[in-house]
Amino acid sequence: MKSYDVVINHKGFMNLAIIDNILHQLRMYLFKKSNEKLLRKRVYSLSVECLDNILKHSDLNEKDHELIKNYPPRFIIERIAGDFIIHTGNIVLNENKDELIPRLDQLNNLELEDINSLYKESLANAEISKKGGAGLGLIVMAKTTRQKIKFDFEKIDNKFFYFAMQLNLKQ
Amino acid sequence: MKGFNIPATDKSPKVVFDTNNFLFEMQGISRPENVRDFYFPLIYKIKKHFEKILEKNQGDTFNEKCFKFNFKLDYFNSSSAKFISDILVIIKELNDKGLNLKIYWFFADGDEDMKEVGEDFSDMISVPFNFVMIES
Repeated sequence: MKSYDVVINHKGFMNLAIIDNILHQLRMYLFKKSNEKLLRKRVYSLSVECLDNILKHSDLNEKDHELIKNYPPRFIIERIAGDFIIHTGNIVLNENKDELIPRLDQLNNLELEDINSLYKESLANAEISKKGGAGLGLIVMAKTTRQKIKFDFEKIDNKFFYFAMQLNLKQ
Repeated sequence: MKGFNIPATDKSPKVVFDTNNFLFEMQGISRPENVRDFYFPLIYKIKKHFEKILEKNQGDTFNEKCFKFNFKLDYFNSSSAKFISDILVIIKELNDKGLNLKIYWFFADGDEDMKEVGEDFSDMISVPFNFVMIES
């Protein structure tokens, strides 16, 4: 029977202190339970990108906080045998969903070599947004996992969607 | 112009710009809370320093020794990668103007991702890096 661990299971409000706490828990787990340095680093790196995205790209104002109860930000890491699966979820605006879908579809249809070229091109042309994002996170995820990014958008109302994403990191 | 020495935190790297010893060095982890506030001032200071050297035609004073840029990073997030690439582009432009600047990219033994990202940066700016493996 394959070994199974829930490494991190966070559903709820997200801020910098909570992210630091999640990353601390993750480091402790990886230090104790994972011998492979490169895999440890990849899990950590993907987690930072995912958590940054949840924090920077959650399109929610304070007045919308009621929605969080039903659609909380989510960050879960499972480990099955030696592989890691990262699940994320956050609320996004309808128009941001329309931007994300073609970007994710594009990445899922590229070979690793093309993803690497896109990364270099994007690094050269990236501009840092006011929220501190460089728009490179999804490319880094595709480059690091070397697997297709699974995603889904669940309609909440006419304004918002719940964006769920799954990353698979093979041993 | 005097250099600077920024101590490391658990989220940001130690950064040394030692103009007397012709050395720039970044070491540690880079995922600062406010990536713009962290990188903009240091990039500005580096640019200004070398602009003055070019204005005063002082390149020869260190061209014999070369100005070393050491990147000894354990981890950096994608927003930091953008700023690191900005520093590398500045180095390339200064090299193109005749200054002798060399890039040393350190990576831990077994950390092929860190080596690969260095190769990506080197490709991107068309400047060869000196790769240094650190035994773990």
